[in-house]
Amino acid sequence: MTTPITKDEIAAVFPTVAETMADALGCDVEDIKLDVSLIEGLDAESIDFLDMVFRLERAFKIKIPRGKIVENARGALSEAEFESGGVVTDAGMAQLRAYLSEIPAERFKTPMKAKDIPRLFTPETFCKLVITAQREAA
Amino acid sequence: MSGPHFAAFSFVDRITAFEPARRARAVFAVPAAIERFPACLVAEAVGQLAAWVAMEAIAFRGRPVAALANETRFHAAVRPGELLELAVEIEQCDDEAVAYAGTARVGGRLVIELVDCLGPMLPVADFDDPAALADRLALLRGAGAAPRRFGGVAPARVEPIAGEPGAAWLHVPASAPFFADHFPRRPVFPATLMLDALIGHALSIAAPGHVPASLTHVKVRSFTEPGARLRIEALAAADDPTRIALTVRGAERTVATARLRTRPETAA
Repeated sequence: MTTPITKDEIAAVFPTVAETMADALGCDVEDIKLDVSLIEGLDAESIDFLDMVFRLERAFKIKIPRGKIVENARGALSEAEFESGGVVTDAGMAQLRAYLSEIPAERFKTPMKAKDIPRLFTPETFCKLVITAQREAA
Repeated sequence: MSGPHFAAFSFVDRITAFEPARRARAVFAVPAAIERFPACLVAEAVGQLAAWVAMEAIAFRGRPVAALANETRFHAAVRPGELLELAVEIEQCDDEAVAYAGTARVGGRLVIELVDCLGPMLPVADFDDPAALADRLALLRGAGAAPRRFGGVAPARVEPIAGEPGAAWLHVPASAPFFADHFPRRPVFPATLMLDALIGHALSIAAPGHVPASLTHVKVRSFTEPGARLRIEALAAADDPTRIALTVRGAERTVATARLRTRPETAA
Protein backbone atom coordinates (compact mmCIF):
# COMPACT_ATOMS: atom_id res chain seq x y z
CA MET A 1 0.00 0.00 0.00
CA THR A 2 1.49 3.31 -1.04
CA THR A 3 1.73 5.94 1.67
CA PRO A 4 -0.40 8.94 0.66
CA ILE A 5 1.49 12.07 -0.26
CA THR A 6 0.99 14.77 2.35
CA LYS A 7 0.43 18.49 1.89
CA ASP A 8 3.67 19.12 3.77
CA GLU A 9 5.59 17.02 1.27
CA ILE A 10 4.01 18.96 -1.58
CA ALA A 11 4.74 22.28 0.10
CA ALA A 12 8.38 21.27 0.50
CA VAL A 13 8.98 20.63 -3.21
CA PHE A 14 6.58 23.20 -4.68
CA PRO A 15 8.92 26.25 -4.68
CA THR A 16 11.53 24.42 -6.78
CA VAL A 17 8.85 22.85 -8.98
CA ALA A 18 7.30 26.28 -9.58
CA GLU A 19 10.64 27.86 -10.39
CA THR A 20 11.52 25.01 -12.76
CA MET A 21 8.15 25.20 -14.50
CA ALA A 22 8.33 28.97 -14.87
CA ASP A 23 11.74 28.58 -16.47
CA ALA A 24 10.44 25.94 -18.87
CA LEU A 25 7.29 27.85 -19.77
CA GLY A 26 8.88 31.29 -19.89
CA CYS A 27 6.36 32.74 -17.46
CA ASP A 28 6.62 34.40 -14.06
CA VAL A 29 6.95 32.08 -11.09
CA GLU A 30 3.90 33.83 -9.58
CA ASP A 31 1.82 32.39 -12.45
CA ILE A 32 2.56 28.86 -11.27
CA LYS A 33 -0.22 28.06 -8.82
CA LEU A 34 -0.58 24.57 -7.43
CA ASP A 35 -3.96 24.04 -9.07
CA VAL A 36 -3.65 25.80 -12.42
CA SER A 37 -4.18 23.60 -15.49
CA LEU A 38 -0.88 23.51 -17.30
CA ILE A 39 -2.47 23.18 -20.73
CA GLU A 40 -5.55 25.34 -20.38
CA GLY A 41 -4.16 27.85 -17.89
CA LEU A 42 -0.53 28.15 -18.96
CA ASP A 43 -0.69 27.10 -22.63
CA ALA A 44 1.72 24.21 -22.09
CA GLU A 45 2.19 21.82 -25.01
CA SER A 46 3.59 18.29 -25.14
CA ILE A 47 7.11 19.63 -25.70
CA ASP A 48 6.73 21.67 -22.49
CA PHE A 49 5.88 18.52 -20.53
CA LEU A 50 9.04 16.89 -21.86
CA ASP A 51 10.99 20.03 -20.96
CA MET A 52 9.52 20.22 -17.45
CA VAL A 53 10.27 16.57 -16.68
CA PHE A 54 13.81 17.03 -18.03
CA ARG A 55 14.37 20.10 -15.85
CA LEU A 56 12.80 18.53 -12.76
CA GLU A 57 15.14 15.55 -13.12
CA ARG A 58 18.08 17.92 -12.97
CA ALA A 59 16.69 20.19 -10.27
CA PHE A 60 15.91 17.31 -7.90
CA LYS A 61 18.61 14.89 -9.13
CA ILE A 62 16.01 12.21 -9.76
CA LYS A 63 15.05 10.02 -12.68
CA ILE A 64 11.54 10.23 -14.04
CA PRO A 65 11.06 7.58 -16.72
CA ARG A 66 9.11 8.79 -19.74
CA GLY A 67 5.45 7.94 -19.36
CA LYS A 68 5.87 7.71 -15.60
CA ILE A 69 3.19 10.29 -14.91
CA VAL A 70 0.49 8.25 -16.65
CA GLU A 71 1.88 5.04 -15.14
CA ASN A 72 1.57 6.58 -11.68
CA ALA A 73 -1.94 7.74 -12.45
CA ARG A 74 -2.87 4.21 -13.52
CA GLY A 75 -1.82 2.85 -10.12
CA ALA A 76 -2.31 -0.90 -9.75
CA LEU A 77 -4.52 -1.18 -12.83
CA SER A 78 -3.17 -2.82 -15.96
CA GLU A 79 -3.22 -0.83 -19.18
CA ALA A 80 -6.19 -2.88 -20.39
CA GLU A 81 -8.07 -2.25 -17.14
CA PHE A 82 -7.28 1.47 -17.30
CA GLU A 83 -8.24 2.21 -20.86
CA SER A 84 -10.08 0.55 -23.70
CA GLY A 85 -9.94 1.73 -27.28
CA GLY A 86 -8.22 4.93 -26.19
CA VAL A 87 -10.96 5.75 -23.69
CA VAL A 88 -10.43 5.61 -19.93
CA THR A 89 -12.60 2.87 -18.37
CA ASP A 90 -14.87 3.40 -15.33
CA ALA A 91 -12.25 1.73 -13.14
CA GLY A 92 -9.63 3.93 -14.76
CA MET A 93 -11.66 7.07 -14.05
CA ALA A 94 -12.01 6.08 -10.39
CA GLN A 95 -8.27 5.50 -10.17
CA LEU A 96 -7.55 8.79 -11.97
CA ARG A 97 -9.82 10.75 -9.60
CA ALA A 98 -8.06 9.17 -6.64
CA TYR A 99 -4.56 9.88 -7.98
CA LEU A 100 -5.38 13.41 -9.13
CA SER A 101 -7.35 14.16 -5.97
CA GLU A 102 -6.30 17.81 -6.10
CA ILE A 103 -8.24 18.38 -9.29
CA PRO A 104 -11.88 19.50 -9.00
CA ALA A 105 -14.40 16.80 -9.93
CA GLU A 106 -15.97 18.88 -12.70
CA ARG A 107 -12.74 18.74 -14.70
CA PHE A 108 -13.03 14.97 -15.13
CA LYS A 109 -15.10 14.80 -18.29
CA THR A 110 -16.53 11.43 -19.32
CA PRO A 111 -15.92 9.73 -21.59
CA MET A 112 -12.28 10.78 -21.30
CA LYS A 113 -9.77 9.88 -23.96
CA ALA A 114 -6.46 8.65 -22.56
CA LYS A 115 -4.60 11.18 -24.69
CA ASP A 116 -6.51 13.98 -22.95
CA ILE A 117 -5.33 13.01 -19.46
CA PRO A 118 -2.48 15.57 -19.56
CA ARG A 119 -5.13 18.30 -19.85
CA LEU A 120 -5.87 17.61 -16.19
CA PHE A 121 -2.30 18.04 -15.00
CA THR A 122 -1.38 20.85 -12.66
CA PRO A 123 1.86 21.80 -10.91
CA GLU A 124 0.64 19.69 -7.99
CA THR A 125 0.62 16.67 -10.29
CA PHE A 126 4.29 17.29 -10.96
CA CYS A 127 5.00 17.79 -7.25
CA LYS A 128 3.58 14.31 -6.69
CA LEU A 129 5.68 12.95 -9.52
CA VAL A 130 8.81 14.37 -7.91
CA ILE A 131 7.89 13.06 -4.46
CA THR A 132 7.18 9.59 -5.83
CA ALA A 133 10.53 9.56 -7.63
CA GLN A 134 12.29 10.75 -4.47
CA ARG A 135 10.63 7.98 -2.44
CA GLU A 136 11.58 5.35 -5.01
CA ALA A 137 15.19 6.55 -4.96
CA ALA A 138 15.39 6.56 -1.16
CA MET B 1 14.51 20.40 -54.36
CA SER B 2 17.41 18.26 -55.41
CA GLY B 3 20.70 17.01 -54.14
CA PRO B 4 22.22 13.78 -52.98
CA HIS B 5 21.43 12.17 -49.68
CA PHE B 6 24.00 12.66 -46.91
CA ALA B 7 25.71 15.62 -48.57
CA ALA B 8 23.86 18.92 -48.53
CA PHE B 9 23.13 18.86 -44.80
CA SER B 10 25.29 16.12 -43.29
CA PHE B 11 28.05 17.15 -40.91
CA VAL B 12 29.73 13.95 -39.81
CA ASP B 13 32.48 12.58 -42.07
CA ARG B 14 33.87 9.79 -39.94
CA ILE B 15 33.11 8.39 -36.50
CA THR B 16 36.38 7.74 -34.70
CA ALA B 17 35.00 6.28 -31.47
CA PHE B 18 31.59 4.75 -30.82
CA GLU B 19 30.28 3.32 -27.56
CA PRO B 20 26.72 2.21 -28.27
CA ALA B 21 24.04 4.29 -26.52
CA ARG B 22 26.72 6.12 -24.51
CA ARG B 23 29.17 8.31 -26.40
CA ALA B 24 30.91 8.94 -29.70
CA ARG B 25 33.60 11.02 -31.33
CA ALA B 26 33.77 12.07 -34.95
CA VAL B 27 35.32 14.51 -37.37
CA PHE B 28 33.92 16.78 -40.04
CA ALA B 29 36.08 18.68 -42.51
CA VAL B 30 34.54 22.07 -43.18
CA PRO B 31 35.10 22.63 -46.91
CA ALA B 32 37.53 25.45 -47.61
CA ALA B 33 35.52 26.56 -50.62
CA ILE B 34 32.39 27.65 -48.75
CA GLU B 35 31.82 31.23 -47.62
CA ARG B 36 30.87 30.64 -44.01
CA PHE B 37 30.21 27.91 -41.51
CA PRO B 38 28.02 29.49 -38.85
CA ALA B 39 28.07 28.43 -35.22
CA CYS B 40 24.58 26.96 -35.57
CA LEU B 41 25.93 24.46 -38.10
CA VAL B 42 28.67 23.51 -35.66
CA ALA B 43 25.87 22.81 -33.17
CA GLU B 44 24.05 20.89 -35.91
CA ALA B 45 27.14 18.71 -36.39
CA VAL B 46 27.21 17.86 -32.68
CA GLY B 47 23.48 17.14 -32.76
CA GLN B 48 23.85 14.90 -35.81
CA LEU B 49 26.53 12.83 -34.07
CA ALA B 50 24.18 12.44 -31.09
CA ALA B 51 21.42 11.43 -33.49
CA TRP B 52 23.58 8.64 -34.96
CA VAL B 53 24.22 7.20 -31.50
CA ALA B 54 20.57 7.56 -30.56
CA MET B 55 19.20 5.98 -33.72
CA GLU B 56 21.57 3.03 -33.42
CA ALA B 57 20.57 2.59 -29.78
CA ILE B 58 16.95 2.00 -30.74
CA ALA B 59 17.67 0.01 -33.91
CA PHE B 60 16.62 2.87 -36.21
CA ARG B 61 12.99 2.76 -35.10
CA GLY B 62 13.05 6.47 -34.39
CA ARG B 63 15.11 9.52 -35.10
CA PRO B 64 15.53 12.48 -32.78
CA VAL B 65 14.49 15.92 -33.93
CA ALA B 66 15.74 19.23 -32.63
CA ALA B 67 13.49 20.38 -29.81
CA LEU B 68 15.18 21.42 -26.59
CA ALA B 69 18.68 22.80 -26.09
CA ASN B 70 19.03 24.23 -22.66
CA GLU B 71 22.37 25.90 -23.31
CA THR B 72 24.73 26.29 -26.23
CA ARG B 73 27.96 28.14 -25.43
CA PHE B 74 29.77 29.78 -28.31
CA HIS B 75 33.51 29.97 -27.67
CA ALA B 76 35.05 30.66 -31.06
CA ALA B 77 34.14 30.91 -34.72
CA VAL B 78 34.89 28.07 -37.12
CA ARG B 79 36.41 28.96 -40.45
CA PRO B 80 36.08 27.16 -43.78
CA GLY B 81 38.89 24.65 -44.19
CA GLU B 82 39.05 23.73 -40.50
CA LEU B 83 38.51 20.22 -39.12
CA LEU B 84 35.78 19.86 -36.51
CA GLU B 85 36.37 17.34 -33.74
CA LEU B 86 32.98 16.33 -32.40
CA ALA B 87 32.15 14.54 -29.15
CA VAL B 88 28.82 13.60 -27.58
CA GLU B 89 27.78 12.04 -24.30
CA ILE B 90 24.35 10.41 -24.26
CA GLU B 91 22.70 10.85 -20.88
CA GLN B 92 19.50 8.99 -21.61
CA CYS B 93 18.09 7.36 -24.70
CA ASP B 94 14.92 5.41 -25.39
CA ASP B 95 12.14 5.28 -27.94
CA GLU B 96 10.72 8.55 -26.67
CA ALA B 97 13.72 10.88 -26.50
CA VAL B 98 17.47 11.26 -26.33
CA ALA B 99 19.16 13.53 -23.79
CA TYR B 100 22.73 14.48 -24.56
CA ALA B 101 25.58 16.93 -24.21
CA GLY B 102 28.39 17.56 -26.64
CA THR B 103 31.30 19.65 -27.80
CA ALA B 104 33.09 20.65 -30.95
CA ARG B 105 36.78 21.53 -31.06
CA VAL B 106 39.18 22.69 -33.72
CA GLY B 107 42.77 21.64 -33.20
CA GLY B 108 41.88 20.77 -29.61
CA ARG B 109 40.46 24.25 -28.96
CA LEU B 110 36.86 24.28 -27.72
CA VAL B 111 34.58 26.12 -30.16
CA ILE B 112 31.11 25.14 -28.97
CA GLU B 113 29.46 23.34 -26.06
CA LEU B 114 25.95 21.93 -25.94
CA VAL B 115 24.53 21.30 -22.49
CA ASP B 116 21.29 19.55 -21.57
CA CYS B 117 19.84 18.90 -25.00
CA LEU B 118 16.76 16.78 -25.53
CA GLY B 119 15.44 15.49 -28.82
CA PRO B 120 12.10 13.67 -28.98
CA MET B 121 12.16 10.57 -31.15
CA LEU B 122 9.81 10.37 -34.10
CA PRO B 123 9.26 7.35 -36.39
CA VAL B 124 12.34 7.25 -38.56
CA ALA B 125 10.48 5.90 -41.58
CA ASP B 126 8.46 9.13 -41.76
CA PHE B 127 11.66 10.99 -42.58
CA ASP B 128 14.17 8.65 -44.13
CA ASP B 129 14.89 5.10 -45.21
CA PRO B 130 15.95 3.21 -42.05
CA ALA B 131 18.12 0.81 -44.07
CA ALA B 132 19.92 3.70 -45.78
CA LEU B 133 20.60 5.25 -42.39
CA ALA B 134 21.98 1.99 -40.99
CA ASP B 135 24.23 1.61 -44.04
CA ARG B 136 25.38 5.19 -43.66
CA LEU B 137 26.27 4.68 -40.01
CA ALA B 138 28.30 1.60 -40.94
CA LEU B 139 30.18 3.71 -43.48
CA LEU B 140 30.80 6.52 -41.00
CA ARG B 141 32.07 4.03 -38.41
CA GLY B 142 34.30 2.39 -41.01
CA ALA B 143 36.19 4.14 -43.76
CA GLY B 144 34.16 7.31 -43.40
CA ALA B 145 32.32 9.33 -46.00
CA ALA B 146 33.99 11.34 -48.69
CA PRO B 147 34.81 14.69 -47.07
CA ARG B 148 33.96 18.15 -48.34
CA ARG B 149 30.61 17.21 -49.86
CA PHE B 150 28.89 20.13 -48.16
CA GLY B 151 28.47 22.99 -50.59
CA GLY B 152 27.48 25.69 -48.15
CA VAL B 153 24.06 27.08 -47.44
CA ALA B 154 22.76 30.53 -48.20
CA PRO B 155 21.32 32.36 -45.15
CA ALA B 156 17.54 32.53 -45.19
CA ARG B 157 16.21 35.95 -46.21
CA VAL B 158 15.24 38.18 -43.30
CA GLU B 159 13.10 41.23 -44.02
CA PRO B 160 12.69 43.80 -41.24
CA ILE B 161 9.08 44.83 -40.58
CA ALA B 162 8.71 48.58 -40.93
CA GLY B 163 7.62 50.33 -37.76
CA GLU B 164 8.22 47.30 -35.56
CA PRO B 165 11.70 47.44 -34.08
CA GLY B 166 13.08 43.96 -33.47
CA ALA B 167 10.51 42.25 -35.70
CA ALA B 168 11.17 40.76 -39.12
CA TRP B 169 9.91 38.22 -41.60
CA LEU B 170 12.00 35.12 -42.13
CA HIS B 171 11.42 33.77 -45.61
CA VAL B 172 12.12 30.05 -45.69
CA PRO B 173 13.20 28.99 -49.17
CA ALA B 174 10.69 26.90 -51.08
CA SER B 175 13.49 24.74 -52.39
CA ALA B 176 17.12 24.24 -51.48
CA PRO B 177 19.62 21.38 -51.71
CA PHE B 178 19.48 20.81 -47.95
CA PHE B 179 15.83 19.78 -48.10
CA ALA B 180 16.91 16.60 -49.93
CA ASP B 181 18.96 15.67 -46.89
CA HIS B 182 16.75 17.10 -44.17
CA PHE B 183 14.79 14.97 -44.71
CA PRO B 184 14.47 12.78 -47.82
CA ARG B 185 10.90 11.71 -47.07
CA ARG B 186 9.77 14.90 -45.42
CA PRO B 187 11.53 18.18 -46.12
CA VAL B 188 11.78 20.31 -43.00
CA PHE B 189 13.56 23.64 -42.57
CA PRO B 190 16.43 22.80 -40.18
CA ALA B 191 15.94 24.39 -36.78
CA THR B 192 19.64 25.27 -36.71
CA LEU B 193 19.25 27.35 -39.87
CA MET B 194 16.25 29.05 -38.29
CA LEU B 195 18.35 29.80 -35.21
CA ASP B 196 21.17 31.10 -37.41
CA ALA B 197 18.78 33.57 -39.02
CA LEU B 198 17.35 34.44 -35.62
CA ILE B 199 20.77 35.14 -34.12
CA GLY B 200 21.76 37.21 -37.14
CA HIS B 201 18.61 39.25 -36.72
CA ALA B 202 19.14 39.61 -32.96
CA LEU B 203 22.66 40.94 -33.49
CA SER B 204 21.14 43.77 -35.51
CA ILE B 205 19.63 45.10 -32.28
CA ALA B 206 22.54 44.11 -30.03
CA ALA B 207 25.28 46.47 -28.94
CA PRO B 208 27.76 47.21 -31.75
CA GLY B 209 30.66 44.76 -31.81
CA HIS B 210 28.82 42.16 -29.79
CA VAL B 211 28.83 38.49 -30.77
CA PRO B 212 26.79 35.54 -29.45
CA ALA B 213 28.03 34.21 -26.11
CA SER B 214 25.34 31.63 -25.48
CA LEU B 215 21.92 30.55 -26.61
CA THR B 216 19.72 29.15 -23.88
CA HIS B 217 16.20 27.80 -23.45
CA VAL B 218 15.93 26.81 -27.11
CA LYS B 219 12.57 25.19 -27.63
CA VAL B 220 11.37 24.22 -31.09
CA ARG B 221 7.66 23.48 -31.01
CA SER B 222 6.84 22.55 -34.55
CA PHE B 223 8.25 21.79 -37.96
CA THR B 224 8.66 24.49 -40.57
CA GLU B 225 7.81 23.53 -44.12
CA PRO B 226 9.65 24.77 -47.21
CA GLY B 227 8.37 28.14 -48.40
CA ALA B 228 6.98 29.19 -45.01
CA ARG B 229 7.03 32.79 -43.85
CA LEU B 230 7.82 33.20 -40.17
CA ARG B 231 7.66 36.26 -37.99
CA ILE B 232 10.78 36.58 -35.86
CA GLU B 233 11.11 38.86 -32.88
CA ALA B 234 14.17 39.93 -30.88
CA LEU B 235 13.60 41.81 -27.67
CA ALA B 236 16.49 43.01 -25.51
CA ALA B 237 15.98 43.08 -21.74
CA ALA B 238 15.42 46.63 -20.54
CA ASP B 239 17.94 46.28 -17.74
CA ASP B 240 20.54 44.26 -19.66
CA PRO B 241 20.88 44.67 -23.45
CA THR B 242 23.16 41.62 -23.64
CA ARG B 243 20.11 39.43 -22.93
CA ILE B 244 17.81 39.12 -25.93
CA ALA B 245 14.58 37.09 -26.00
CA LEU B 246 13.93 35.45 -29.35
CA THR B 247 10.59 34.25 -30.69
CA VAL B 248 9.58 32.68 -33.98
CA ARG B 249 5.91 32.68 -34.86
CA GLY B 250 4.11 30.87 -37.64
CA ALA B 251 0.70 31.73 -38.99
CA GLU B 252 -1.10 30.12 -36.09
CA ARG B 253 1.32 29.35 -33.32
CA THR B 254 4.71 29.94 -31.76
CA VAL B 255 7.26 27.86 -33.65
CA ALA B 256 10.30 28.39 -31.44
CA THR B 257 11.69 30.41 -28.56
CA ALA B 258 15.19 30.99 -27.27
CA ARG B 259 17.27 33.41 -25.25
CA LEU B 260 20.51 34.89 -26.58
CA ARG B 261 23.27 36.37 -24.51
CA THR B 262 25.88 38.49 -26.28
CA ARG B 263 29.36 39.67 -25.32
CA PRO B 264 31.91 42.04 -26.79
CA GLU B 265 33.84 40.28 -29.52
CA THR B 266 37.17 40.53 -27.72
CA ALA B 267 35.93 38.95 -24.47
CA ALA B 268 36.11 35.32 -25.64
